[in-house]
Formats: sequence, structure tokens, C-alpha cells
Amino acid sequence: MKTAEAKFILGAFRPGGGDEGDPAFAEALRMTSGDPQLGAWFAQARAHDLAVASKLAEIQPPYGLREAIVAGARVGGRQRRPAATWGWMALAAALLVAVGLYAFRGSPPGTTATRQLADYAITDMVQGKHGSRGAPAGALVARLQTEGAPMPGAGDIDFENLRETGCRTLNFAGHDLLEVCFARDGAEFHLYVTRRDGPLGDAVAKGPDFVSEAGGAAAVWSDGRFDYVVATEAGVAALRRLL
Amino acid sequence: MNDEAFAQLVDAQYAPLYRFALSLARNGSDAGDLVQQTFFIWATKGHGLRELSKAKSWLFTTLYREFLRGRRRDARSSSLEDLPPGEKEPAAEDFDRVSKMDAATVMSALQSVDEAFRAPLTLFYLEDLSYQEIAATLDVPVGTVMSRLSRGKAQLRTALSSADSGGKVLPFPQPKGHRHS
Repeated sequence: MKTAEAKFILGAFRPGGGDEGDPAFAEALRMTSGDPQLGAWFAQARAHDLAVASKLAEIQPPYGLREAIVAGARVGGRQRRPAATWGWMALAAALLVAVGLYAFRGSPPGTTATRQLADYAITDMVQGKHGSRGAPAGALVARLQTEGAPMPGAGDIDFENLRETGCRTLNFAGHDLLEVCFARDGAEFHLYVTRRDGPLGDAVAKGPDFVSEAGGAAAVWSDGRFDYVVATEAGVAALRRLL
Repeated sequence: MNDEAFAQLVDAQYAPLYRFALSLARNGSDAGDLVQQTFFIWATKGHGLRELSKAKSWLFTTLYREFLRGRRRDARSSSLEDLPPGEKEPAAEDFDRVSKMDAATVMSALQSVDEAFRAPLTLFYLEDLSYQEIAATLDVPVGTVMSRLSRGKAQLRTALSSADSGGKVLPFPQPKGHRHS
């Protein structure tokens, strides 16, 4: 093996020693003992790699990401199907449909889907970095801040345009969720909008349903095309006045 | 997988996954989305994996695929031959330079490395995966990983020198038709 080839191989040797036992590196590592120049090169390269790796390890994920992952995956986990034969899956699917129809026909306040969306919105309201850009988002905020203006319906929301022009877009269980902040009657509100074909399907009731938690309150409703949440720290009474 | 096991998996992997995502996406918001999306896919599909020991590779692979899926297709069309070479050899002062830098500056320099090199380079520095696992994660031959590590390190050293001399860390020039998201 020539020196250039040894350098090439040693370039893939993890600086922390994770590849010590890998025979692919054995010959190149042996050469570093017999060739002082190569040995010095390897020592410098490894020290440099170690320094970069150490700096990279200092980068910390943003606060709240872990909680968002767990909450988002919980939605996904509830959608999963167990490994089973087709016969069992067909039976399970039939049962799910029956249970689903029964559960959603009544849609009492606080259904699972409503709760998940409300939880997500309240968590983001408290922990997220807010702020949208773009004229469409600005126009929506201006409308929402108008005294007595109704909350938006399907005819008012140009979802694609809002998203593409800078409206804050979150990832709710793998699907886009738009958010704008607005103020009315001295209280701050956060409106979230997601498509009806998102992770919750058509599980969100027409509503509005109200959810109150330690971090804040939320109203959740759907117009058949989009699901909406308004979250606030001002309480359910403020939400009722708003809607 | 029950909730407790899932939480343990998140605790063990979400930080290195975020670092990988941050180097690819170049901003914290997109990186967070990528990590969240990756675990969401795990929750919906990955729980079928029988060997939990493969979860780490699966997560990195899925995150990388999600990143590729989310950006423009034409960004994949460039060949390595078009990419600028990097010949800078390591020097003794490189180690001192990096040691004195803050983590954000080093990440910024890493983000300036061309994407073709950046992905394997970041996985290498995370030290979670061997070069064979990196090859499997990125779906490229082992020799390609070694080549990209070599050239990527040279680009990174140049970027770090530039950052140290007070210069702004800029992305390496892209060949025609190659754009980042």
C-alpha cells in the first residue's frame, strides 16, 4: 500500500476510535508506525477531526423539539396497524370503521383528534418562535384583528398562497400547519390551520370545541376543508367571545 | 414499540439526528421539522423493524431521504466531477484553530461545504456510524464515501481558515444547474 492510499483510507477512520477493530484500517494503521511522516500526518488529521467532532457535539437541539417529536409520533402511533394476516387485518379494519363511526358521530368536546390538535397548538403557542411574513399573512392578520370579524372559513383561506409567501408553517405529524398571531380586545391569539386531509383525517368535529390546559386554552373546529385551532393564554371565556 | 421505549429511542437519537439535519438544511427550523418527520415515520412504519439495533441507521437513512425528497430534484443532477476539488492538507494550526472556535462557527463552516460532501462528512463527525454504515445510509458505494470524506475535509479546512481570518463563511461555488433548497 502506498502512502497516498493509506491517507485515503485513514481519512474514514473515526477520530474517537470507533473503527479500531475494523480490519479494513489495519494495514494503513500499521504503516503509521513505520512511516514517521505518515504517522505525523495521521496524528494531525485525527486531532483536527476530533476537534471538529467535539464542536459538533456541542450543538444542542432547540428547546421543545423532543416534546414535539413525542407528541407528533403519538398521533402517528395511533394510526399504525399491527402486523397481522390479511384476514385479521380485514376484521380489524371493519372493527375500526365501526368503532370510528360510533366515536365520531357523537363527537363530544375533547375527542382525541380535537385534543391532539389543541395540545399541539397550545404547546407551540407557549414554546414556539412566532412571526409570519408576506402580504397574504399580513392581510389575514389585519382581518382577524378587526373588531367583530368572524373567524376564517374555507372561502377565506388560500392555504398554498399563504404558505408560499412566508406564513409561518409548522410540521404537524408530517403535514403543514399554518400559524398567524393576532390581537383582539387586548388579548393575544394564535390561529392554526391545517388541511382536512392531514393526519387526523375527518376526525375533527365541526365544533367549535373548547379545550383548557395549564398552558392555555384552545378552540378547535372544522369547516370540512380545513381544521382550525385558536389558542390563547386568555382562557376559554376570551375564545368564546372571539368566536 | 410502547411509549416508554419510543421515548428512550428519541432521547438517544434526536440530538445527533438534529445535528445531521442542521448541517443539511442549514437552518434550525427546517432541521427540527426533518427530525420530527423522521420520528413520525418511525412511529407509523419503523416500529415494524424487528432489530432495534438497526434503528439508528434507519433513522439517519430516513432523515436523509426526507431531506432529498423535500428539495428540488435538479439539485441531485450534478456529478462529483463538476464539484470543486479541495486539496488543503491538515496542519498543526488547524487543530488549535478549531479548538478556539465556538460550535456555531464550526457548524457554519460545515454548512458551507458542498452538499455532496457535507452529508457524509457530518455523519463521520457525529461518529455514530462507520463508513460502511454511512455508505448504506446515503446509498452510495463505500469508495465514494471515502472519496467524499477526503474532499469534504479539505473544503471544511478551507472554510474554517476563512472563518478564523474574519471572513464570512460562504458556501462553496456550485456547478451550473446545482442549487440548494
